Amino acid sequence: MASETLLAEYEARRAKALAGGGADKYAKRTAKGILNARERITKLVDGDSFIESGLFGTSAVEPHLADETQTDGKIAGYAKIGGRDVAIVVNDFTVKGASTSYTNGRKVGHMKRTATERGMPLVCLGESTGARLPDAMGGYGMGMLLGNDNTQFRRTRETPMVAAAFGPSFGSSTWMMCISDFAVMHKGATVAVSSPGLVSMALGQKVTAEELGGWRLHSDITGLIDQAVDTEEEVFEAIQKFLSYMPSHHNEAPPDAPVPAGSGTDMDKVFGMLPESRTQVYDMKRIIRCVVDKDTMFELKPRFGKSAVTTLARLGGKSVGIVANNPLHRGGSLDADACRKIVDFLVLCDSFNVPVVLLVDTPGFQIGTEAEKAGAPGRIMNFMNAMTLLTVPHLSVIIRKSYGRAYVCMGGGRHSDDIAAWPSAEISFMSPEFATKIVHGVAFGEPGYEEKLKDIEKGADVWGLASVYAAQAVIRPQETRDYLIRMLDVYKLRISKGVGQHLMRTWPTSY
Amino acid sequence: MARIEVKSEITGTVWQLKSKPGDKVESGDTLIVIESMKMEIPVITEDAGEVKEILVKEKDPVAEGQVVAVLEG
Repeated sequence: MASETLLAEYEARRAKALAGGGADKYAKRTAKGILNARERITKLVDGDSFIESGLFGTSAVEPHLADETQTDGKIAGYAKIGGRDVAIVVNDFTVKGASTSYTNGRKVGHMKRTATERGMPLVCLGESTGARLPDAMGGYGMGMLLGNDNTQFRRTRETPMVAAAFGPSFGSSTWMMCISDFAVMHKGATVAVSSPGLVSMALGQKVTAEELGGWRLHSDITGLIDQAVDTEEEVFEAIQKFLSYMPSHHNEAPPDAPVPAGSGTDMDKVFGMLPESRTQVYDMKRIIRCVVDKDTMFELKPRFGKSAVTTLARLGGKSVGIVANNPLHRGGSLDADACRKIVDFLVLCDSFNVPVVLLVDTPGFQIGTEAEKAGAPGRIMNFMNAMTLLTVPHLSVIIRKSYGRAYVCMGGGRHSDDIAAWPSAEISFMSPEFATKIVHGVAFGEPGYEEKLKDIEKGADVWGLASVYAAQAVIRPQETRDYLIRMLDVYKLRISKGVGQHLMRTWPTSY
Repeated sequence: MARIEVKSEITGTVWQLKSKPGDKVESGDTLIVIESMKMEIPVITEDAGEVKEILVKEKDPVAEGQVVAVLEG
């Protein structure tokens, strides 16, 4: 065959493959304001850095449907984000609803293996209907399609994994969201095991997609996602930003970034952010914004377990993970959700060599029937265990209250490399008001209460902690940023070149 | 106009009412203050709107998740 003929066939096949589910389907999505798969790739990656793997893949189960199954519905390949290599899988909903079948399963598996073995982040953009039918039906279908790669859902956190959900994201896209280190949802997407249609058929339950797996459910109640954003563009920005804090793989330190102008300029105001009365609350996020490099706060799970804040940020240009109590919610008392969120974040930071800073102001763990029903003691012990397994540098700053077991979980004793306290710190086993009743038998309003309270409060200030070297420093609040930058340098992992031991690398991805 | 229910995120006792029916409120405003764990815990609205009902009074006990105010917004 003449070379011209071969090349003509190549171009024709290539054009057909790039046409995906067809121009009409793409145009309908465009008319609705929904980006198509290849448009999403263009917006996600650097310039023209995408190189495709498996462009000519089609259905292997039904080869006669080759024309209808271009790329087999999942576009895979390599690209650069922020100048660094990544592997990507982007679902093309116009091809059989990006349902999972034999060929695209091989593509996804290869991307995940390559990313894992060669040290690149893996990014999966989801929109999917689930397993392809009838391909997966019956013993033959199941035997051919399901479970033949036992690394498919294995997470040993060698490289950061990111997932996004657009539109209906049932089945594989939902699984990817759940096993990822960062899961971002476009508002309007559905993350669920199965569709409202199947739920209606199987259970007789009428439910909307939003009720079944909308962003509010996952942001506020399940905590399965890290962020929900309004536009598709914001999804790509979130992925790019998340990856900027991460190393490409677990055997290197995260990349440094320039320190933005204006960082730390409000530190002289930081102490004024605390209310004068110890019974009043404030928003810890204001203090975090003030301390970290300007505009580098990147909060995860902001609507879940809100009495804790977990946020990536930079200090002096270096990636850090901040774990803070937020008195604005529940007075800063940690409930089961807050503990779950913190553990999730500690696992992320330890797995990818991101040092941790704990900012402490908590009256303790949440008590009461609701907390116990939510399994609080188990979550607290998971938190405790995670703190004992944390091998990246971790520093604790006690801003105000630090009581009871929460004192230890938030880095007390030798659960931090270094503990600094503000002069406003108060440390004790429980709130002095309750201790007065337990120790002296007098409650608020009863004769002798004020005198006994004063007695109990005596040892609760910062100086007792400093005198027994359980706080290594008492610092002026305005020096907090400089102190942390210096101490992160002091405690850096010189011997292992910034790489921790990753003792939590197999911790469940949600629990 | 949507009916918006505002809930207490913690079990405690109503300490102060900071809003009343007819008030226009913005996202982030404190509607009620709950006393719990010896602290003053605000009930904050996420949504802007007009206060239609305040469902508790001072010294009332409230449970976690209890609807304490209704807005229209």
